Amino acid sequence: MSLPPPNHPCWKRLLSGGGARLKTDQLALQLLCSRLERSDAPVERRISELMAFFTRFERILPREIAQLVTL
Amino acid sequence: MNDLMNLEEAGRLIAAGAVCCVAGDEAAMRQLPRGAWIGGSIPYFMAPAGGLVAHDKVFVTTLPDSAQLQYLSADEVDQVVAGGPEHGYSVMIVPAGSRAHSRFAQDASTSADALMKPTVGWVSGVHLSELATTKPVVFDGRTGQAHDDGIVVARVTLPDDRLAMVEITNIFEGDDGDVLRFETGGFEASEVLINGERCNFAEYLQARGNADGKLPLVGDFGGASLNASVRQVDVAGGHVTLYAPVFPGIDYRLARPVADYVATFRQRAGERSSEGLVFSCNCVLNFLYGNFEGQSLGATPTGPVTFGEIGYQLLNQTLVSLRVV
Repeated sequence: MSLPPPNHPCWKRLLSGGGARLKTDQLALQLLCSRLERSDAPVERRISELMAFFTRFERILPREIAQLVTL
Repeated sequence: MNDLMNLEEAGRLIAAGAVCCVAGDEAAMRQLPRGAWIGGSIPYFMAPAGGLVAHDKVFVTTLPDSAQLQYLSADEVDQVVAGGPEHGYSVMIVPAGSRAHSRFAQDASTSADALMKPTVGWVSGVHLSELATTKPVVFDGRTGQAHDDGIVVARVTLPDDRLAMVEITNIFEGDDGDVLRFETGGFEASEVLINGERCNFAEYLQARGNADGKLPLVGDFGGASLNASVRQVDVAGGHVTLYAPVFPGIDYRLARPVADYVATFRQRAGERSSEGLVFSCNCVLNFLYGNFEGQSLGATPTGPVTFGEIGYQLLNQTLVSLRVV
């Protein structure tokens, strides 16, 4: 399953409380969502970080990627 | 290999060129030959037969022969992540109470790369009867030198088709009561916001029946429950010290009491896959409060029982595992 594009609203939702609705036990992803939600970095940069993480660990995140567009 | 062994066996492995992470009592570690190993002082272990305290055995985790070893000073703590392999993992050991320990605990979670380059490890310690007299150390086996500050780290690069996963088993969850927030981070706190109202933290813990600190604070990190264990509650002095820093912006709750520590651990750890297990460590507070000595935890991974666990950042009262899948 491919990742949604950077302009898909799911990424902003993930950065604004969507992480809490994401069903995952992947510690790194949970920590990343927590840090980026608290970050004051520009939203584009935070989305870029999220996408880079999903891209690198795509193989072990199929369940999480499937949820992205439904958050 | 993850195994508790005597010094002769460990010495033979090292002499044969194995790259290892070693945990053991300082006096035992000093008897190991020089070689491709890093280590830390600790006499507490979880073995298949159960928890034990041993001064004449060491716990050895072997790593791929290609692993690269490093010693980093306390001023180079940022290199734990920055120097990590682009595709692989790092295993680190840091002495409890050292400057490197404090700096890593407070800074590691802020690095943008920290979650892209998995880091696991542990905080070295001493027998609890020696807390006032002996400093925890880490060892660089290449030189045989012990350090009471700094970090020893092993870097492992993985093939493109393998990934490192850091997993935790935490038997604690926050209760349904008060939400605690801290305006400043750190290992110490005097004030806390309880449901938004400023309170004295030590008085609050005493009122909640946790003046002995046996229940940790449980922080909600994006759905992951991470503990900050209570080291000392000084009601007269009005402050609390912790074994891991608290962070502003995180919702904390006091942990719900666990009725059967061992059974809960067995169950939670048993839910985890052990496929590709490389490394694991558990917390000395679990060992103590759960009376793990002499008790088998079933399928729970074995390893050193430590003064703090590292899974990307400093953790408390948690089992940390690294798997390669």
